[in-house]
Amino acid sequence: MEQTVHSTRFGELDVPEEALIEFPDGLIGVGGRRFALLTREENSAFQWLQETAREELALPVTDPFPFFPDYEVRISDAEAERIGISDPAEAEVLVIVRAAEKLEDFSVNLLAPLLICRGVGHQVINEAPAQVRVPLLSGLAESAS
Amino acid sequence: MLTITRKPGEKIMIGDDVVIEIVEVAGNTVRVGITAPRERLIYREELWERVRRENEEAALSAPDQLDGLAKPS
Repeated sequence: MEQTVHSTRFGELDVPEEALIEFPDGLIGVGGRRFALLTREENSAFQWLQETAREELALPVTDPFPFFPDYEVRISDAEAERIGISDPAEAEVLVIVRAAEKLEDFSVNLLAPLLICRGVGHQVINEAPAQVRVPLLSGLAESAS
Repeated sequence: MLTITRKPGEKIMIGDDVVIEIVEVAGNTVRVGITAPRERLIYREELWERVRRENEEAALSAPDQLDGLAKPS
């Protein structure tokens, strides 16, 4: 089963059902309810979260761990229970990317990652020390030194 | 905006299921206790605002050529 999704950025897309993610509470301050996780190119570091009913709303996301090997997401037991995650290992972690013309100027939001589990996603506030606008490549520079 | 004067230990009801309690007032700091159903999300406003702005800017900022960038090896 595929769903047709209209995107201001990408035009009309046929999205397989397994790429659809429900966000019961939307993204913080922005809303949205159901997103398609789009991989535009194989091997790209980035994917897109395209809201299925709001064609103008698409955000680039990335797996934080290749860029920040020491990255840690910590949430309270109450929050884990609320979002239905009992084992941290079963949640996929993505972070939202703020892109720029040059890769050196990209940043990611490590403070408010997305936790995705069994087709349901939540944007949570990380209780481990983390910032909202971290240069994407800064983690690599650190681990190389 | 509705403004209500309260003393430490006093509470405010928002609807039937959200309770705001003034726990302590010390100098220019107020400690507030909130009891609410789990599905009500509670944020410090400045934190919520930072994340909201970052989400919006991420949606606006993304250039199309980003898909060509490969994962770090």
